[in-house]
Amino acid sequence: MGIEEKLPSGVLLTTVEGLAGYARKNSLWPATFGLACCAIEMMASGAGRYDLARFGMEVFRASPRQADLMIVAGRVSQKMAPIVRQIYDQMAAPKWVLAMGACSSSGGMFNNYAIIQGVDHIVPVDIYLPGCPPRPEMLIDALLKLHDQISETKLGTNRKRQLEDLENAALIATPTIDQVGLMR
Amino acid sequence: MGQGAIYLPILFLGLLAFGFAAFSVVAATFTGPKRYNRAKVEAYECGIQPTPQPEGGGRFPVKYYLTAMLFIIFDIEIVFLYPWAVTCDKLGVFGLAEMVLFIVTVLAAYAFVWRRGGLEWD
Amino acid sequence: MNDDVVKAGLPLLQVTTVREGMFGASGSGDTSGFGGLVSVVPVPVASAQPFGNYFDEIYAELVAALPLFKSSAEKAFDKIVVAHDEMTIYVHPTELLAVARTLRDEPGLRFELCLGVSGVHYPNQTGAELHAVYHFRSITHNRRVRLEVVAADSHPHIPSIVSIYPTNDWHERETFDFFGIIFDGHPHLTRIQMPDDWQGHPQRKDYPLGGIPVEYKGATVPAPDERRSYN
Repeated sequence: MGIEEKLPSGVLLTTVEGLAGYARKNSLWPATFGLACCAIEMMASGAGRYDLARFGMEVFRASPRQADLMIVAGRVSQKMAPIVRQIYDQMAAPKWVLAMGACSSSGGMFNNYAIIQGVDHIVPVDIYLPGCPPRPEMLIDALLKLHDQISETKLGTNRKRQLEDLENAALIATPTIDQVGLMR
Repeated sequence: MGQGAIYLPILFLGLLAFGFAAFSVVAATFTGPKRYNRAKVEAYECGIQPTPQPEGGGRFPVKYYLTAMLFIIFDIEIVFLYPWAVTCDKLGVFGLAEMVLFIVTVLAAYAFVWRRGGLEWD
Repeated sequence: MNDDVVKAGLPLLQVTTVREGMFGASGSGDTSGFGGLVSVVPVPVASAQPFGNYFDEIYAELVAALPLFKSSAEKAFDKIVVAHDEMTIYVHPTELLAVARTLRDEPGLRFELCLGVSGVHYPNQTGAELHAVYHFRSITHNRRVRLEVVAADSHPHIPSIVSIYPTNDWHERETFDFFGIIFDGHPHLTRIQMPDDWQGHPQRKDYPLGGIPVEYKGATVPAPDERRSYN
């Protein structure tokens, strides 16, 4: 049926969107996808001092079917790439991807034959987090920004319009290579 | 009937819980989107392609069945021994004789299994 | 460069290759200063007996135990190099299995641990490009020894010592993956770190780094092995 995708817009939908967004962001379960050094920082942010449990995220699900968020923490090698994609495919919607660290955002310091230059070559990424590795506070900051993004996600026909707006904004945005003159 | 009425709220609570669970499942089937892909339908094996399993689930050695069956039989024998054990003094010699007869019957079956090699694992 | 580079305390070396500069731009395009780097790739020259320390005992035990060598002790191994308190025995590929078995089983040798195979690629030594280096450790006698086996690029086959030292399994797979040395007799010689259908052997000297240009705001920085070239 997929009624969620066909909801008509209106005041009631806005309330439902708010509720759904609030519920989804406050219990975002990450999938354990620590690949390299960033995994240590991810573990540290889940531990006692930089607590992820205060956001409801201390349950790192081993199975992707029970996870909402895939934090790709670490470099992705050529051999690991199809596995990343398979895990992403096996997650149930709604799902988000956080590229943690320089290696998963863009290949990091490893610009060579063995490492994928950015996990966005394989899976769609919602939020990038630079750092080598990013401190736990930086990871929590990225997660909070992702929470804002999730709470503003719309449902039904509003969602279709939101996706179109995002697409149009991306099409008219200046590409990175043309953003000159920023160093002055 | 009057005494049973005390438990009526529990029945209602049970029906409410069951109803909530059923509503959640049914509502999810209706409201949720259907986005299937091949990976979601496959078994999860840490991201790699799942190892192909043999047709019909693969064959099991029959010794597992034999061990389970023997366990059931002797376990039920023990279950019959318990009530006799607690009222042994009231049942007297008659109870003892009956019990010995019962145990001897099962013992015959035990001897048969032993001689026929049913207790050998390999 | 001289044929022999003699420094105080170090053994005689024979120079085969002199590399000038790092990878990347050469000539006036280089601004890093690495262009002036001159690196000498030496090949160690054989040491003569007595070797010192416990190396003489190892040599004597090996020569005594191996039936092939009892008659011609001088030509037992291609070369023995003793440098920096370490002994390297250059073994011919055909003798490798016998030597490894002797190292493991002889009571006077008893090298129980094989710490793996590493590969080395010398592109300029035609006929002896691929070296496989084995490190052994004896716990009973507290000794170390290194075996080096040389194979040509045209025939990159070295016998596998997995039947003698089973833990060499994955090390040989890795050396095959990265250098292309084929270990005959290995039960399952497949790639271990690159994807199974990868072409090429990445750690050879002539394999490119494989980086891509990185896009920044308003500029592109080329891959590390192609930088600083102002064409």
